[in-house]
Amino acid sequence: MIRQKYEDVIAQTVVRIMVPFVQLYALYVLAHGHYSPGGGFQGGVILAAALALIFLVYGYEDALDRLGLGTAGRLCSIGVLIYAGIGFICLLLGGNFLDYSRLAPLLQVTAPRARSLGILGIETGVALAVMAAMYSIIMDIVSSETGRDKGNNATEENKTGEICSGGE
Amino acid sequence: MKSFFLAVDIFLCLMVFLCLYRVVFGPTLGDRIVATGAIGTKTLTILVIIGFLYGRVEMFLDISLAYALLNFVGTLAAAKYFEAFEAKGEF
Repeated sequence: MIRQKYEDVIAQTVVRIMVPFVQLYALYVLAHGHYSPGGGFQGGVILAAALALIFLVYGYEDALDRLGLGTAGRLCSIGVLIYAGIGFICLLLGGNFLDYSRLAPLLQVTAPRARSLGILGIETGVALAVMAAMYSIIMDIVSSETGRDKGNNATEENKTGEICSGGE
Repeated sequence: MKSFFLAVDIFLCLMVFLCLYRVVFGPTLGDRIVATGAIGTKTLTILVIIGFLYGRVEMFLDISLAYALLNFVGTLAAAKYFEAFEAKGEF
């Protein structure tokens, strides 16, 4: 129902102009997580909202052309890898998990600066993971609603067929 | 000045309930969509005024901007469902 091609000049033009600004705002929320409300999760959600806007106005296929589900899954894993990787680098340098001050000799900066940069690093990872996860949740809901997943439907029919024949 | 802002804030909160009545008992889908958008706009203003009251406008401005964005996405999605229902002649 919701994946029909949406031919509306006004909505398409507004979204085409809006999406870059929405993504810029998401990066602002991500980078200013220390000083204002926001951070990795919120920035990721706003990035996903930009993708949801594209999907709503340009349709299912066009959104998948821009960011496929496989790429989204890989981005999700890369985000978790960035988060856990920074944590384990701190562990390897002799501190606790996510003890950013240990990154100071590696980054050639003072300890407070290293903490700030470490937090920015893990928030970038969180934002990537959240964006990809939200996007794939939206796309999965839409594809199951419209019966787009042909493979799954076929297996379900086979299963019900087997159950019916077993009953006979 | 603060009491003026507080009065405006409380008045807007009461107006939200009037819109909420339209959302719950609205006869058509169009009423519900427009009323939801109106509630979103009022919430935005309420948030900025709360920012004035607490003296931290820049913080609440960020929240209200994000709220406006998500409200826009929601209204667009609702309007799209509205169009699909209308095409099938049942709403």
